[in-house]
Amino acid sequence: MLLSIVIFLPLLGVIAIALLRNMGASAIKGIALVVSLLTFLISIGLYTWFDADKISTTGFQTNELLYQQKKWVDDLGISYHIGIDGISLWLVLLTTFLTPICILAAWNSVEKGLSGFMMSLLALETGMLGVFCALDLFLFFVFWEAMLIPMYFLIGIWGGERRIYATIKFVLYTMAGSALMLVGILALYFQNGENGFDLTTLLAQTATEGFAFQHSYLLFLAFFIAFAIKVPLFPFHTWLPDAHVEAPTVGSVILAGVLLKMGTYGIVRFCLPLFPQAAADATPWIVPLAVIGIIYGALVAMVQPDLKKLVAYSSVSHLGFVVLGLFSQSDAGIQGSVLQMINHGLSTGALFLLVGMIYERRHSRMIVDFGGLAKKMPVFATIFLIVTLSSIGLPGLNGFVGEFKILLGSFVGNAFSKWYVVFATTGVILAAVYMLWMYQRVMFGTPDKTNEALPDLKPREIAVLLPILLFIVWIGVYPNTFLKPMKVSVSAVAEKVKVDNDSNTPAVGQIIIDGETQDVVPEVETADLQLIKEEAQTK
Amino acid sequence: MPEIPDIDLLMPGLVIVLTLLIVLIFDMIDAISKKVLGWMTIVGAGIALWVSIKMFLGNEVGTEFSGMFEVDSYSLFFNIIFLVSTILVALISISYLGRDDKKQGPYYLLVLLATLGMMLMAAGNELIIIFLGLELMSLSLYVLAGYFRESPASSEAGMKYLLLGAFASAFFLYGIALIYGAAGTTSIPRIAEKLTAESQSPLLLAGTFLLIVGFGFKVAIVPFHQWAPDVYEGAPTTIAAFISAGPKAAGFAAFIRIFMEALPNIQTEWGGVVVLLAMLTMTVGNIIAIAQTNIKRMLAYSSIAHAGYVLIGLAAANSDGKSSAMLYLLIYCVMNIGAFGAVIMARTADGESLTISDYAGLGFRKPLLGGFLTLMLLSLAGFPPTAGFIGKFYIFKSAVQAAVQPDVVNTWLVSLVVVGAINTAISAFYYLRVVVTMYMREPEEELEFNPYPSTLVIGLVLAAIGVLLIGILPSLLVNPAQNAVL
Repeated sequence: MLLSIVIFLPLLGVIAIALLRNMGASAIKGIALVVSLLTFLISIGLYTWFDADKISTTGFQTNELLYQQKKWVDDLGISYHIGIDGISLWLVLLTTFLTPICILAAWNSVEKGLSGFMMSLLALETGMLGVFCALDLFLFFVFWEAMLIPMYFLIGIWGGERRIYATIKFVLYTMAGSALMLVGILALYFQNGENGFDLTTLLAQTATEGFAFQHSYLLFLAFFIAFAIKVPLFPFHTWLPDAHVEAPTVGSVILAGVLLKMGTYGIVRFCLPLFPQAAADATPWIVPLAVIGIIYGALVAMVQPDLKKLVAYSSVSHLGFVVLGLFSQSDAGIQGSVLQMINHGLSTGALFLLVGMIYERRHSRMIVDFGGLAKKMPVFATIFLIVTLSSIGLPGLNGFVGEFKILLGSFVGNAFSKWYVVFATTGVILAAVYMLWMYQRVMFGTPDKTNEALPDLKPREIAVLLPILLFIVWIGVYPNTFLKPMKVSVSAVAEKVKVDNDSNTPAVGQIIIDGETQDVVPEVETADLQLIKEEAQTK
Repeated sequence: MPEIPDIDLLMPGLVIVLTLLIVLIFDMIDAISKKVLGWMTIVGAGIALWVSIKMFLGNEVGTEFSGMFEVDSYSLFFNIIFLVSTILVALISISYLGRDDKKQGPYYLLVLLATLGMMLMAAGNELIIIFLGLELMSLSLYVLAGYFRESPASSEAGMKYLLLGAFASAFFLYGIALIYGAAGTTSIPRIAEKLTAESQSPLLLAGTFLLIVGFGFKVAIVPFHQWAPDVYEGAPTTIAAFISAGPKAAGFAAFIRIFMEALPNIQTEWGGVVVLLAMLTMTVGNIIAIAQTNIKRMLAYSSIAHAGYVLIGLAAANSDGKSSAMLYLLIYCVMNIGAFGAVIMARTADGESLTISDYAGLGFRKPLLGGFLTLMLLSLAGFPPTAGFIGKFYIFKSAVQAAVQPDVVNTWLVSLVVVGAINTAISAFYYLRVVVTMYMREPEEELEFNPYPSTLVIGLVLAAIGVLLIGILPSLLVNPAQNAVL
């Protein structure tokens, strides 16, 4: 029940705004903020009631508050079936966490159609939450597609110059992928008869050793392409820079923060556990693509003259890491990937917010236009530094934990990925190059006349960023808070994928995987953190 | 001694005939406002709809006229589709026809006649009856397409429709003749008995393919579609909506009945052709629609593409395919008439706004109109949670079911579904382009739009409720459709 409330509360907000849209701008903004904050507060309840022991055989929470099943379309056995496990819990929280931040960030920047903007944002939230909670493939697909419509409006109406091109490209790419996924969902359904749309039923089937759906390679492909487009995995990434650059700040935050995660979430929720053998056999094709994405995204980011494009391409690189980890066939790698999904949501979300804030002041995103901002905007520069370092993966901040676990998991997980990890690691170095170089060009040096006059962050803007910083540090210092609830769920996925690949797994990997995996993550000393903070403050 | 027909079974048709007569009589009385005729049509069709639904739910079925006329769940379901289209079209017509009293009477008469023809087609259990229904419907539509005599475009549309339609009817009739030659009967169940998988005489095959050509013209399947864009563009917009809805459904009603009930034994012969035609129809329709700048032409090509989706159901050739095609046709009728209704709503003082660029900025200036059109277009594109998604979902479902058998995979059907799925994405492009224009572009000139006529708003609200209700609670409609083919 609680879960349903979380999912549909934003939709109620949409209706409320639609009815009261003549009340004036502040009322609209107020409703939107209150509704989204309320959603966030209620969603914290999900974490409170989340109990790693009370799980069904397929890994989902059995607590009635976090689980619901109601008949919907009888003749096909489609039900309104929602639930969460350790993986979706975090993505739900990420979504509910970022939405109020986005609403606050857009407080003064929407000029036309404010009610439509807020309605789109809230409708989008419902769509995204539905995607992460749906346990019925039909329901999942409905949310997956329905979510496109508000995003389409967000980019298309409130976006930049080439917004129409960008929004149509975004929708068409996603639709082309999801149309094939629909065929895959149907083909899956007919192999299972009555409850063929029900994820838990399907998962229960794959629990049998050696079981595989018929045509599982084709089915895997049908699902995987849809998700790969969303991630986006190289070479399906070309929609992303366009969409990001043209989207309004808030649209970019949601896009990078949550929407891209729907792709990686789809892989870990459907592709891996439903078609383990196909996933294992596809690894040699997918891992190189992920690594190409890591390096290519980083290289392209390096030469971008536009701040927003730079951040957009860095997403391609970061999401490459996530896919690499997902196909590592190890607990550590998949855990790292799930954690990295959240990390990327936080740090890239924050980066887009920061770029948006500077754009509002200077009306430019070109790196050459800036310089010396650190002198004039010390608070902005400090926060920007912390977020930049988090994005690079500095130990003590969130990015490090995720990337480290991914690289470790991939190295030990399967023999194949081992050598690719060597290449992937260069992505970390390249990230440092493009992010720090960008930081240097924007922040240091002497400010020119236009930049002299830029005011520092306002309290509202600091309030937008502080919660994100809190979690950036929290995950970096004590990732166990986040890793612990997801452990069982991740192991279940990893266990399935590993089944047929035992012969390839090196002995050294076994030892680590069978041991306490969280021990692999080095606990960062608080002293280190203090150092980082001081360093940031001296800037 | 001829049997006495059971009046109860013929009730929906009789109600329409009665309405027709009343409209005819009232049209002759000069003293009354002719607006009332539109309402009479709505009430008459409404009663017929109610009767049909009651018969459908009560499962009152049987045959009439020595088995020539079959009232079964299938034909009753189609009656519901036709009557819903007729009511919606009458609702959007009342304000569209304007104040010219002389125009109203014959208009509604012809609409009712066409509806009667459609009902005959769906219930015909006999090729000749189907042909009669087809002609009754088509002749009424030829006149309606050219109804605005003073408009050259309308006259041209009527003429084109007449010539090509007559051509198609000839093909159809010739096909019937050849099948009669092969089977020795024109009764659908008896043809099915006579023909076995072995009976593949050239005569029969030629007859079958002539029927496909005839139906292909009537429901606008590529490559027999060329008339559609011209007729849709020239005909009065309400009639374009009508032609794209009810008559298309009627064509499919007879198409599906003949092919799945009379000719199932030679399915191996026509199955491949239908698969090819479906692929061609969807792809050509959608791709040409992208290039259109006139919204009526765009909707015409989109309606061609939608005929392709319905053909997927026929290609699946199972009972699920049949029921999903019926479901799709009903949904399609509602959303397509809704889209045309929204086009009618966007009227300025100089007439209709037909160029897509005229819709620039409409979304914010006319939120109601923008909302309606957006909803209908999203539904046509097949986005959840609208009815269009449910329709496509069931169509694809039936084809995948037929394609993926435990031991074999029918590659043809799988590729058909994949082509259909890709086409969904293609179609999203041009539907969304209209939405883009409405919400994301600034208007070049400020157009003064007429106030909304209340009847039009009622029609659109009904269509919108239908589209959302079916989208969110599909069982309401799906279960009846599936029962109808059992």
